[in-house]
Amino acid sequence: MTITTRRPAWQEKPTVAGQATKGTVLTGVVMAVVLPLWVVLVTSLSSRETITAAGGLVVVPRGIDLSAYKIIFAGGQITRALAVSATVTLLGTAVSLVVTVLAAYGLSRPGTLGHRFLLFYFLMTFLIYPGMVPSYLVVTGLGLKDSLWSLVLPSAVSVFNLVVVRAFFQNLPGELLDSARIDGAGEFRILWRIVLPLSKAVVAVVGLFYAVGYWNVWFSALLYIDDNNKFPIQRVLQSFILAGMTPQTSGVAAGTALPPTLAVKMAVVVVTVLPIACVYPFIQRHFTRGVLVGAVKG
Amino acid sequence: MVAPGFLLLLVFHYLPVLGNVVAFQDYNPYSGDSALAALAGSPFIGLENFRILFADPAFWDAVVNTLSITAFQLVFFFPLPVVLALVLHSVMSPRIRNFVQTVVYLPHFFSWVLVVTFFVQMLGGAGLLAQELRDAGISPPEIMSNPQTFIVLVTAEAVWKDVGWGTIVFLAALSTIDTDLYEASAVDGAGRWRRMWHITLPGLRPVIVLLLILRLGDALTVGFEQFLLQRDAVGRQAAEVLDTFVYHQSIVTADYGLGAAAGLFKAAVGLILILVANRLAHALGESGVYRRS
Amino acid sequence: MTSRRTFLGVAASVAGAGLLGGCGEKSTRGGATQQLDKLSSLIPAAKDPGLSIPPPDVVGTRPVADGYTRFPATLVDAISEKPGRGGSAIRAITPVWGPAPPAGRNNSYLVAINDELGVPVEFSVQDGLQYADKIGALLGARDVPDLLCVPQWEVAKLARFADATNALFEDLTPYLQGSKVSAYPMLATFPAGAWRNACWNEKLMSVPNPTDGPFPWVMFHRRDLFTKLGLKPPATIDELYRLGKEITKPNQGVWAFSDVFAMIQMYFRSPGTKDGWRRRADGTPEFKYETPEFKAAAEFMAKLYRDGLIHPDIVASRGADMKQLFQSGKILITQDGMGAWQPMQAEQQNVTPGFDVQPLPLFSATGGDPLAWGDDEPISYTFVKKGLPKDRVEEILRVINWCSAPFGTTEFQLREFGVEGKHHTRKAEGPVKTDLGFKEIANQYFFISGRRPVVQPTPQTPKYVPDMLGYSNQTVKYLEKDPWDGLKLEMPARYKSGMTPFEDKLTDLVRGRRPFSDLDAIVKEWRAGGGDEARELMGKALADAGR
Repeated sequence: MTITTRRPAWQEKPTVAGQATKGTVLTGVVMAVVLPLWVVLVTSLSSRETITAAGGLVVVPRGIDLSAYKIIFAGGQITRALAVSATVTLLGTAVSLVVTVLAAYGLSRPGTLGHRFLLFYFLMTFLIYPGMVPSYLVVTGLGLKDSLWSLVLPSAVSVFNLVVVRAFFQNLPGELLDSARIDGAGEFRILWRIVLPLSKAVVAVVGLFYAVGYWNVWFSALLYIDDNNKFPIQRVLQSFILAGMTPQTSGVAAGTALPPTLAVKMAVVVVTVLPIACVYPFIQRHFTRGVLVGAVKG
Repeated sequence: MVAPGFLLLLVFHYLPVLGNVVAFQDYNPYSGDSALAALAGSPFIGLENFRILFADPAFWDAVVNTLSITAFQLVFFFPLPVVLALVLHSVMSPRIRNFVQTVVYLPHFFSWVLVVTFFVQMLGGAGLLAQELRDAGISPPEIMSNPQTFIVLVTAEAVWKDVGWGTIVFLAALSTIDTDLYEASAVDGAGRWRRMWHITLPGLRPVIVLLLILRLGDALTVGFEQFLLQRDAVGRQAAEVLDTFVYHQSIVTADYGLGAAAGLFKAAVGLILILVANRLAHALGESGVYRRS
Repeated sequence: MTSRRTFLGVAASVAGAGLLGGCGEKSTRGGATQQLDKLSSLIPAAKDPGLSIPPPDVVGTRPVADGYTRFPATLVDAISEKPGRGGSAIRAITPVWGPAPPAGRNNSYLVAINDELGVPVEFSVQDGLQYADKIGALLGARDVPDLLCVPQWEVAKLARFADATNALFEDLTPYLQGSKVSAYPMLATFPAGAWRNACWNEKLMSVPNPTDGPFPWVMFHRRDLFTKLGLKPPATIDELYRLGKEITKPNQGVWAFSDVFAMIQMYFRSPGTKDGWRRRADGTPEFKYETPEFKAAAEFMAKLYRDGLIHPDIVASRGADMKQLFQSGKILITQDGMGAWQPMQAEQQNVTPGFDVQPLPLFSATGGDPLAWGDDEPISYTFVKKGLPKDRVEEILRVINWCSAPFGTTEFQLREFGVEGKHHTRKAEGPVKTDLGFKEIANQYFFISGRRPVVQPTPQTPKYVPDMLGYSNQTVKYLEKDPWDGLKLEMPARYKSGMTPFEDKLTDLVRGRRPFSDLDAIVKEWRAGGGDEARELMGKALADAGR
């Protein structure tokens, strides 16, 4: 990839109007993202009085109040949920990457036995989905209930990611692989020694796709995880964000914990967003490095 | 090598897919001694579930809503990542470019609960914008709860969430265009707009066509949570899409047969759409999603 | 646009579609009626356990519960024997609204009670808002825990629920019927009405959690702000409207109402029994959509929306925090469950001095007596998994019995407030929960049991019990008569699945998103979409019962 850092000689000087338009567009786009984030952060750091005065989210900070963070970290529930989500994300991403890379490599070589059938087999999954209850039966039938594997295995293969990786592999120079084969290298060896070193970018990006998917896992946790100590962060986020609606009977609400305040909700949002915001800039540089071009050309 | 993936899909996808057979049953999950016995024991009623489905005006409302939202987003959302990618690509400073990219990709990772919350607080009737307008003596427009403009709202939300993310693939494509072409063309006297028209856009064409096909094949999918969350604000008529319809029919009210029928309908239409779109791509001389070999 | 959900299909055929079709008509999936009066032989015999608990401070007119304004100075031991016989952990699933409490060994409150029980109850606490999804999957896959709590309002949504109870849960009749209940003396204190509702398929299928208040909705107002603005509670519908006009000041960010449609329907005397049924003069059942009262209420509500008297956040989104708006004075009148009152008062009075939430007295928009919706259906039902051995069921029932000890007993105190010095501190006015108490206690054992209902003292809000019971005793006089009282109706599946969609359509109408003239068309659709089927069932139920 060519990152142009200096204007080449043949290119005309940018016009003032052009630069101004560009600047406005980019500033606008950046502000549209940054402003709400800022508001969430500031609200999470605001005191109860500040929030009541503002009648909702706070834009202008008036002092820093860490009580919301103290509340969510006091119980250990958020900490535990973050640990669960981190485990699921790491474990799941590892499993998914291994399975996806293997399958993509296998499918990247036309002419092998059953190739057309296998391709069809994988791509069919885009069209027909299983229902919720049959999936539930399979997962519980395998004894995965309350196991973190129930959040990993059913969604371990994303055929979209598989297609991306496969296309990338197909675009690798065939001569390299052929000469290795002539030298007598086995397929696993070729994959490990030749293909993967050339494919770091695609693996990083697909890994991020998987990781985000696992980090955001919510509905499967609702179905398969009964043990409250194994709730992932999105399950907890959901209960914080949508909390505050009590059922319409008087006996129920008496004595329950008070619904969380806006600051607490926003603090949970912040801790949910933070890990991703911290990790993905490191992988981001691979995004444009020809990864999806492979898929696109495929 | 394919075996692990094959098995995972077999167990977690194809096995439960068989459960779709309830679309043709008057399925009672509680008959017999086990769930399997219930499946085996429930009577087959042919296409009765489909008949009930097609006779339900609410189903057609959902289909129409879904398709109009898809069409609207094709016109007003689809081109935006291309434009933003072009602007970004032309930014010389790697620091600025990186910074902007880092920022605009971020909302992609937000959940819809969060995106909708942001919009309500910023643009809602009691949000920041409305408050400012009222202070200025202007009566604020109804943005979050107007069914007439709901389609614009959901598109705006989708743009906010994914416009940055959408640029990735175009930036990737842009970076593969040979700079020599630009240089040669510039030496021949072509201005920036001519270069864009004759080199950049043709370079992006395969990507654009591919993504268009994908979007068309997915025309019946416009998102689920986003609509579920806002359905109450603008009402069922404007916000019920096919996926929320399936959810309400089958999961909330436990009419699994009807839900499965609606799901199969969606699959069949999706298949037809993608085949048609792909044929169209071939006709335009593009390779499309798959090649006829 | 490169979302991973994008689908990229090459070719697929909807395999098998059409091949599988046997022919046949879809069954009507009709419902059924149980005559609960005929079930009287099933009902556990009521018996006072003879505990020396002091008499209530405020007596409620049934079905309103009695109330206490002070905690008794001494507590009574109700149960001497440990219920557990060392069985394995009892798995239970219960709902919670808001953040889930810690689970298992991480929760010292659960540890303390499980010690008392002699057998651990392991709770899986599920988000109350998603509870229907969760139990939908559990029931559909027939994978139920030892104890399952099903809130009463979820039962109404679950199709074929009677079939489900039959397939999945233990018939408790042999354990609790008649005098057999004496093995579980706390259960013998429940009102008979609650037990009647706990029967399905003419069998005693669950343990009810009796309600302590019959009213589903109350219209609350900020009395402190009313006083400040010199406003009076409305006594007629025109006064209510004028009040709304007077309160709403968009440029100050203040609106009169949240969505108050249920209360408006009550003001107009639209029927509310069994979600909106009543009996016409000719004896046939009629649903609220078909009544002029409902139409008038809908028109009035539409006017409130049209004239901008409802807070725009409420109009805009499902996630809008109505309570927050009410507490910060952005809304002055709101409808909510009775259960919202005390926690709101307790929470906000510390932030806003003088904060005072009170109900608005019920009135009739059309003259005559007001009409109050309500019923004495239990809050929730606890089901026991089918097929457990007899001693296990008995052990579980003893656990439920322990958790059902009434107000004034040590068991109740421990269940409600945890361990003294840890989860609550003992003050002169009664136990006050600590932060740990708030965090760890979330009605876990409450939702696997029941008890003779009373309204408990609330030391932080001393006015609450007299105010609440005052309103309730006043309003209970106007409680709507239920022609189907004592009949348990399992409504047809099509009617059940149509309920939410039709409510949605009417919401569109009321909020001006559909022309009001569509009402007749919607009612027609409703009748064809299960409404008439339901009417037939309800009519038959009355005829069979000889009413």
